[in-house]
Amino acid sequence: MRQRLALAKVCAGMVAFLLLIAACSPAPKEAAQSESPPLSSPAAGSSGSSAGTGAGTVDLNGLDWNKTDDPGLKGEPLTILVADNDGSLAKLLGKFTEDTDIKLNVLGVDYNSLYPKITTAALSNSSDIDLVEVDTIWAGQFLEGNIVEDLTTVVPADYQARFTKSSLSSVMYNNRLAAMPYYSSTKHFYWNNKLLKDAGYDAPPKTWTEFREMSKALTRKGVYASGWSWKQAEGLMCDFVGMVYSFGGNFFNGDGTLNVNSDGAVKALQYMVDLLQTDKTVDPASLQWSEDDVRKAFAAGKIAMMSNWEGIYPKMNDPAESQVVNQTDVGLLPGEGDVVSAAVTGSEGIGIMKSSKHKQAALAFLKWMSSRAFQEPNLLERGTYPALQELYDDPKVVEADKTGTIQKIMKQFDYGRNRPNGPGYVEWSDILTAEIFKALTLAKKPKDALDDAAKGIEQAIAKAK
Amino acid sequence: MKQSRRVPNFKRIRMGGGKMAKPASGAARKVLRLSPGRRKDWMLAALLLLPTVYILARTFVYPIFQSLVWSFYKYNLMDGSVVAFIGLRNYAGIFRLPDFWAAMGSTAYFTVFTVGAELSLGFFSALLLNQAFRGQLLFRGMIIIPWAMLTLVNGLMWNWIYQPGYGALTILLHQLGLLGADSNPVWLTSPFRIVTFAAIADIWKMTPYMTLLLLAGLQSISSSLYEASVIDGAGFWQKIRHITIPQLMPAILVAVVLRILGAFRVYDILTVFTNNPTSSVSFLTYNYAFRYFYLGRASAMAWISTLFILALIVMYFRLLKKNAEQV
Repeated sequence: MRQRLALAKVCAGMVAFLLLIAACSPAPKEAAQSESPPLSSPAAGSSGSSAGTGAGTVDLNGLDWNKTDDPGLKGEPLTILVADNDGSLAKLLGKFTEDTDIKLNVLGVDYNSLYPKITTAALSNSSDIDLVEVDTIWAGQFLEGNIVEDLTTVVPADYQARFTKSSLSSVMYNNRLAAMPYYSSTKHFYWNNKLLKDAGYDAPPKTWTEFREMSKALTRKGVYASGWSWKQAEGLMCDFVGMVYSFGGNFFNGDGTLNVNSDGAVKALQYMVDLLQTDKTVDPASLQWSEDDVRKAFAAGKIAMMSNWEGIYPKMNDPAESQVVNQTDVGLLPGEGDVVSAAVTGSEGIGIMKSSKHKQAALAFLKWMSSRAFQEPNLLERGTYPALQELYDDPKVVEADKTGTIQKIMKQFDYGRNRPNGPGYVEWSDILTAEIFKALTLAKKPKDALDDAAKGIEQAIAKAK
Repeated sequence: MKQSRRVPNFKRIRMGGGKMAKPASGAARKVLRLSPGRRKDWMLAALLLLPTVYILARTFVYPIFQSLVWSFYKYNLMDGSVVAFIGLRNYAGIFRLPDFWAAMGSTAYFTVFTVGAELSLGFFSALLLNQAFRGQLLFRGMIIIPWAMLTLVNGLMWNWIYQPGYGALTILLHQLGLLGADSNPVWLTSPFRIVTFAAIADIWKMTPYMTLLLLAGLQSISSSLYEASVIDGAGFWQKIRHITIPQLMPAILVAVVLRILGAFRVYDILTVFTNNPTSSVSFLTYNYAFRYFYLGRASAMAWISTLFILALIVMYFRLLKKNAEQV
């Protein structure tokens, strides 16, 4: 009995102590502010922290577009965090130091490590990283969350006009520029000519109706007509976005609000379910695949058609890595009805961290990175498609493209469609992919799944307010 | 016998030689009464301890309290909304959140399934490894290998095993004739199946841990008990029921509680198989904190999980005490 009383006393004491600590501790607002770099706007920061002061080249942080070649910047140390799996990008970026004498330290990581590393650095207010790669879906979050500098008034409008539509729109949120365009990217349609010919076809499908018919003939023992990245993850969202737009759907209403259950979206999802479950022309392993798994299946000759990002060539024609050497080609993703084609955009930018202590030098880097000095070798040596529009028409570049695909790849960029990139996107995407996955596995009807997703996203938006 | 000898020892250490002491003031008075040389030693010890205490307080104690404070606030870091004190509304919101209950259910299923399977497999493996046979040491060493593997590597390996078509599981079932030649099932299609298959991967990895804990317990059981029971005519199952299990109870309790705590926090292995955050409470909390940056709600969720785990620990101590009293 006495022991029980003692236990109760200890528990009561602990609760009282915790409450006391809680009551005396600073509210998160103050904590966040004291840990954050000084902001020119209140904690909300929604109005942005930079305001132009003349010709759109200077902002309150002293970033000046015209002073990027200031000799005083020489010797300043810069650190950039980018996705670089094989060190080839680091080698290319080394030229920046040669050109400008600004010391650049490259932190190359895999793509999946970018987001946690950037957010951790921002949360801890570390100034170790000055520049970060910004994926299209993070632009809104990074701006509203005060992670990156708002470059809207820093980069002159005529300079912004030099980028491809796809790469510029992917780093814009609410007409604000979150980062400097880095490269252009969408998904593309790849097919295996030999498998198509064996099934009696000379050309790839132009519409999804043709795709469905051809798929039935292409699916034979051991080979499926197509494979997809339909694991419950962002890859599924990417395929779905392209499909929705090609079936005439749209993710936004006229007033800019989100709309995930439009008629086009329901049609698109029904089509995906039909391919997988009724026709059974999709490799069922697609439900466990990400983009890289799809590429491997295509390289092994196990699937005849796929939708995937750039960078497939020249490896697809390397006998050491592929069993379909010189059998494959790339072109426009099919459309439907009036829609010629539609593909999800995956373009990215590079942004300046708010906490950086070398912002002017970082701006000098962005200017260099977005110029021919980097964009051209990045295409020719690494096969990454430029953000700079003028390079696509440059005969020298076209001639130097050893994969012979630049014109085909570029065509698809005209049909690129962005995913929504508001601050809540990561959560909306989780809700939507969960429901799409349920429809694909026949746990729900496509219409019900999308209606539920719309409800879930609405609730998430309401909760966050 | 051993237990009854251990308990008084424990009490003696904790209560300072059996006296019902007034510990804090007694200790302070004792320091003041020390000779100057001893006092210097004591001060030096305190000085040397200070950095550790400071680091622990900054990296461990402070964040815990910080999260408690945050749990009473609406604190969305990344959408530019205003921070506001909202009392217990985060907690109330979480209890009304269907995703939270789905994640709780999934975690409970994962915990019961893995701990149950690991306990039964681990118990029989421990019995086997407790026998004297040639190569016993080799097998005891070998069984550690899965446990020594990185969780993520283990997840990736099982992800390959579960691949449809060319995955080892499908091929094995085909060869055994359990699957029709044309049948090519996709294993990871529903949240329930994903959690089940992830649990199997976890069982493979963590059974050795259970085995080792139980093996240690088995070795402390006196062989004279078995000899006596054989004379009384006990068979294999009777020996297990009346000697092994009761004698092993303290070890079983420790092993089960440690594993429940581990399984309840499962997160990393699930991420290999799915991005579905409702597959475990930790996964959901992680998503709320570090993907959506709802720091207030995530803190509240973390505190709810902590209270669940605390409740489990209290139950564990009560069981342990009851067990010690019985022995």
